[in-house]
Amino acid sequence: MTFSHECIVCIVNTGFSDAVMDAAREFGARGGTVIHGRGTVSREAERFFGITIQPDKELVLILVPRDLTDKILHALYRAVGLKTPGQGIAFSLPVDQVVGLSTFSAEENGEQKDAAGSTEPND
Amino acid sequence: MNEQDAKRRRSERPVKKKKDAALTAPKKLKLLFTVVDRKKAELYADLLSEYSVNLQIVLAGEGTAKTETLRLLGLDDTERAMIVSVIRDDKAPAIFEMLGEKFESVRGGKGIAWSVPMTSAVGVAIYQFLSDYREGQLPPQGQTKGGNGK
Repeated sequence: MTFSHECIVCIVNTGFSDAVMDAAREFGARGGTVIHGRGTVSREAERFFGITIQPDKELVLILVPRDLTDKILHALYRAVGLKTPGQGIAFSLPVDQVVGLSTFSAEENGEQKDAAGSTEPND
Repeated sequence: MNEQDAKRRRSERPVKKKKDAALTAPKKLKLLFTVVDRKKAELYADLLSEYSVNLQIVLAGEGTAKTETLRLLGLDDTERAMIVSVIRDDKAPAIFEMLGEKFESVRGGKGIAWSVPMTSAVGVAIYQFLSDYREGQLPPQGQTKGGNGK
């Protein structure tokens, strides 16, 4: 079953939600919602791998048309992925029904999609 | 009377059919996300609770709309609430219709809502709670096994 929209969830270190939105906007996202959270991590794993995970996190939820999902996820991977200071992970969930999107969103997204389509990923 | 006669008589007995109501499939569940102004969170949570919604979590969030855009629209307040509700699939159309109508009509109540299908839930009691199971409304326990009956 295919749906028209998907919900992108991006979990990043606190303070990187703006970077997430900037990267997502570049490829057609219009807005998102930020929720503060606290990550949990195995202390033993931290010691084993010799890394420290910042526990304060921000969850950014972005509702996007399905055809933009891959481009935005790729942009998030490059901008705030695990190898960046944002240490972010991102995934998408299928959305089967939506209500409340602005009526002009489809038109605007179409324009942004064209713009996004002409931009080649760097890596 | 020999054994063959007894067997024949048993096979001639009319078979009792199970009641159709007992064959109804369990209701599927969905996760509904509703993002509204934080001041209106309680209003929307109350509205949703009228649609067989037993579990709702209200999270404090922030909108990410650009400041210039907000200033233009006179919406400087970015405080949002995200209501996460577990809803029944068969109630979804009515819920979306209600939300669509409220987003348009409630002053300062503009928002957005979307749903994500749930693929599994563990535990009969949990499923019954989430789907607002009431005696006689859904099939007996044995048939609700396996979460949402996918």
